[in-house]
Amino acid sequence: MTAEVSVFAVSCTAKPTGARTLQKERQLGQFLAEVERRALRIAEIGVRDRDDALDLVQDAMIKLVRNYGGRCKDEWAPLFYRILQNGVRDWHRRQAVRNRVMVWFQKAKSDDNDYDVIAAAPDPIGRSPDEELQNSEAMQDMETAVQQLPRRQQEAFMLRTFEGLDVAGTAVAMGCSEGSVKTHYSRAIHTLRDKLGEHWQ
Amino acid sequence: MNKTDEQLAQQAKEAFDRSVDGLDAATLSRLNRGRQAALGAAENPRREWLRWMPATGVAAAVLVLMFTLDGPGDIDVISAPATDLEILLSEESIEMLEELEFYSWLDAEDLEGDGDLG
Repeated sequence: MTAEVSVFAVSCTAKPTGARTLQKERQLGQFLAEVERRALRIAEIGVRDRDDALDLVQDAMIKLVRNYGGRCKDEWAPLFYRILQNGVRDWHRRQAVRNRVMVWFQKAKSDDNDYDVIAAAPDPIGRSPDEELQNSEAMQDMETAVQQLPRRQQEAFMLRTFEGLDVAGTAVAMGCSEGSVKTHYSRAIHTLRDKLGEHWQ
Repeated sequence: MNKTDEQLAQQAKEAFDRSVDGLDAATLSRLNRGRQAALGAAENPRREWLRWMPATGVAAAVLVLMFTLDGPGDIDVISAPATDLEILLSEESIEMLEELEFYSWLDAEDLEGDGDLG
C-alpha cells in the first residue's frame, strides 16, 4: 500500500454496530495483513530487536481489534500506528528503567566481579547473517541514520515515508498537530540528507 | 520540500519496501499467527483479574529482594522510585493512559455514534 491514506478528510458514513459483522471481521483481517509487514519493520527500526518488534505489532493488533474494530476502516491505519508508536515509546521507557535496575543490582555485587552484562549481551539487532544479506547496503545506511534521529522525527519520517500516511493521519498517529508533523518531518529529512550524503542524491 | 528531498524520501521508501519484501518465512509465519491471535482475541473477553496475577507476584518478589539484599551504601533503596516499578510491571500502555484528552475525544465520537467500539 503506497497510496497516501487520507484519514479524517474522508466522511465515514459507516456506523459501528453492536455485533461486529462478518464483513467487518474480513476487513479487519485484510487491513492487518496489509499493514503487518511494514509495521514490523517500522517497529524493528524503532526498538532494534525483531522479537520485541513482533510482540509490539501483535499487541497493537489486539488493541486495535478489541478497542477500535468497530470504527470506520479509514481510521484504522492512524489508530493502529498510534497504538504501535505508544508501544515503542513504552518499550524505551521500560528499557531505561530496566537498565537502571540492572545497574543497581550490578553495584550490589562484589567489586571483584568483573562480569560485564553489557559486553555479554546479545546483539540488540538480533539478525542472522542471512537476514543481513537480504538487506541492501543502502537500507542499512538509511536505517542507521533513521535510528539516530530524535524519536519524534523518527516517527514522523517513518509514518510519512514508509507507511505513506498523510499529514493529518500522521498527526493522529503521533498525537500532535499537523504543524508539528511538518516540522519533525522537515528536520528529519534534512538531517538524513546531511548524513547519507552523496550516495542518496 | 525540494526535489532533492523528494528523491531522498523516494529512495528511502524503495529501500524500505525491499527490506519488507525480504522478510523471511519464519517471520511472516509469526506475523500471521499474531494476526490470527489478534482476531481471535476479540472474540474471547479478557479476565481482568488474571492479568494482574503475574505482576503482583513479581512485585512481591522484587520488594522482598530489595529489603533482603545488601545494596550499595550510596543508593537509597526506599526511594527507588515506585514509578519505576509501576513502569516495569504495568502491562498497560503508559502513553495511552497519559492521553486522556485523546480518549475523551474518542468517547465524544462514540456518543455521537452508537457508542460501540468493539
